[in-house]
Amino acid sequence: MGDVSRRAVLGVLGLGALGAVTASWPRLTGADIPGRGENALSVAILGTSQDAASRAKLVQAFQAAHPGIKVRIQAIQGADWGDFFAKILTMVAAGTSPDVVLVATEGAQLFAERLAEPLDTYVKRDRAAVQDYFDDVHPSLVEAFMYQGSLFQLPMDFNSANMYLNTGALAKAGLARPDDHWTRDDFYNMLGAMKRTNGNQFVPYYWTNRLFGGVVPWLYVNETSFLKETRSTGGSWFWDTFYAKDPTRAQRSGGFQWLEPNAEDPHVAESFEFLRTLVAEGLGTSPAQGGGNELVGQFAAGMIGTTPAGGYWVEGLHEAGMREDQFDVQFFPKWRSQRHQFGAAGYAIMKTSTRKDEAWEWIKFCATKEAMEIAMPTPTTTPTRRSMVNEALYSGKGPKHWQVFYDTLDKFPTSGPIPAPPQQAAVESALIKNVVGAVTGSAANVAPALATLQRDLDLALRRN
Amino acid sequence: MSTTLRNQRAQTTGSASNDPTGTKTATARRDGRKWMAALFLAPTIGGIALFTLVPIVASVLLAFFRWDIISAPKFVGLDNFASIGADPTVRVAFLNTIMFVIVAVLLQLLVAISLAVLVQTRMPIWLRTFFRSAFFFPLVLSASSVSIIMSYLFNQNFGLVNKILGLVAIPPVPWLTSPAASMAVIVLVYVWQNFGFTFLLVLGGLSSIPTELYEASSIDGAGGWKQLRSITLPLLSPTLLVASVMAVISALQIFDQPYVITRGGPGDATRTAVMVIFESAFKQLDFGRASAIGVVLTLLIMAATAVQFRLSRRFVYYS
Repeated sequence: MGDVSRRAVLGVLGLGALGAVTASWPRLTGADIPGRGENALSVAILGTSQDAASRAKLVQAFQAAHPGIKVRIQAIQGADWGDFFAKILTMVAAGTSPDVVLVATEGAQLFAERLAEPLDTYVKRDRAAVQDYFDDVHPSLVEAFMYQGSLFQLPMDFNSANMYLNTGALAKAGLARPDDHWTRDDFYNMLGAMKRTNGNQFVPYYWTNRLFGGVVPWLYVNETSFLKETRSTGGSWFWDTFYAKDPTRAQRSGGFQWLEPNAEDPHVAESFEFLRTLVAEGLGTSPAQGGGNELVGQFAAGMIGTTPAGGYWVEGLHEAGMREDQFDVQFFPKWRSQRHQFGAAGYAIMKTSTRKDEAWEWIKFCATKEAMEIAMPTPTTTPTRRSMVNEALYSGKGPKHWQVFYDTLDKFPTSGPIPAPPQQAAVESALIKNVVGAVTGSAANVAPALATLQRDLDLALRRN
Repeated sequence: MSTTLRNQRAQTTGSASNDPTGTKTATARRDGRKWMAALFLAPTIGGIALFTLVPIVASVLLAFFRWDIISAPKFVGLDNFASIGADPTVRVAFLNTIMFVIVAVLLQLLVAISLAVLVQTRMPIWLRTFFRSAFFFPLVLSASSVSIIMSYLFNQNFGLVNKILGLVAIPPVPWLTSPAASMAVIVLVYVWQNFGFTFLLVLGGLSSIPTELYEASSIDGAGGWKQLRSITLPLLSPTLLVASVMAVISALQIFDQPYVITRGGPGDATRTAVMVIFESAFKQLDFGRASAIGVVLTLLIMAATAVQFRLSRRFVYYS
């Protein structure tokens, strides 16, 4: 060891450093990120790498049909859609934006306003190929993805806020599944009966504090919303081409608009007051924030009587061990109307994409019945194609009245999407943070909480 | 190798003293050494400059711009600061943070001191080792995972905490949906997870107090409380200064617990300064405003630390 010179040591160290840099060059430059710089159509979805893998069959089928286009599904994890959109935006800022993004109603207008390419020219061009899709899909779902007269996405799946019922708890209360046109009072009485007969720990109505299935369905059935809902003009090019014979053609527009807050509408106060009563009388939970991950388990264990959810819940309840006769589903109860709330999702082409034609081929392919059947083999969500919401999808899993999922749109064609203007994130946090204050405590709390909501919404909408 | 280096050094020193051109060689060697020092420091300095200094300067500059990461930044002067001043949510978030810091840090110090004193005095060594690790362990866990578990435990309807309270006939507490209770949960979870570090510092401080002082004072008739007040606390004060400065700085940056457990709710009851930074930047895409809030928070942290050092002149004893 005696004769190693300093020069030699430095030389070895230098070589080592050089070697380390060379070896980790792909990592340092980000070239090892799967798909980076690869010649493929990159499709971003919200989910884990398992979710991406589960779409492998879809990708295979697509590549069989389009051998020239390579597709890579990029799963991006996020707690909710807001998280996912934020990550997409950072990808855009970093210059590694995907070509196609799966966007839910929550982000539809944010993308339409800033990031997405309208599909107008594509659907016009390939009219013959996509007519079959539109014939099978309810116009309300498509209208949710119209923005200022242009179409931005083809919805692939959707979920309405229907009412899930625990049949065991109902039976204990001596009740049967309510009929289609049940009212808010029927609902209230049903909760009371369940509470009396199902023990102390039992929660008759469980709801969470978020945009979907929170306070909004109660606003919609009361013919109001926390934002003023208007429609933009335009869009007749689309409706006249694809939905000319639809009975609801006359009510279709160039898309929804939410430009002003509406929290101080007396109907809004009424809805909040109703929920406050439920909470005060112990019929409904004081709504915790979040997606309610623990909810499936609690519902399956028979601890919850009713909760608002959509078709996406069926598979979860089935996996949690609920038999098909242990739960059922019904429309949301009627108040001034029975207008429902729904959320949907579909692929959007990014403005920045250099493969827009290939991206459109992907979207067009995913909208075919063949592709949608590959993409949605189990009821983890509701397909937008009416013909796919059938006995086969729900057999052995329930619920008995699975028709409710699509009938929500057919029977209540004025049903509307989650209110999500381009400033959705700010609007959502304004709503969520004021709901609990309004529905817990005394009736005197409602008005001040709604005044704060109005102020916060005003601030949120004025931004940008 | 060390022998070689020493020989070389001996040779060079020898030659320098004999050589008429010795000064020149010495200068060259000093230069060489300087270069060498610069070379060795370069990676660190480069790293700090690139990953710390540039982002700091950039984020301060960003506070004067409006930037949504998609379009180009636009200079808006002091608009961002005016807008956060006028925003009730930001005001509440800062007030919450300050209240939280006061309560959480005091509690953290109190718990850490009491437990450290208990562990340090009259306890078998093996038990002492056990408690040292046990109290430190929560700090090792990820704050988000802890918070997720806590949100299950404190769930009003199905949580274990309310179930246990139910056993002694206490009605369910709305832990996460009433302003006071949710703040209490956040403080408890934070303190439980973070007192371990303060605890270790205090333990170190305690063991450096010479035992003779205690012996001498007990001969003079001082009891446990008197010893705590007159010996332990004053001699622990330098440690406490460090512990409290660090606790205050980290508490001012609280984010994980309220973000996961309550998402800032109900209302704005548990919204904190870092949460509004996150929401402004990554939810509302207003990076300029987020930077402005960050600048204000930095100033607040600096002010809090300065106040502590100022107070330390009166309350800290260096033996």
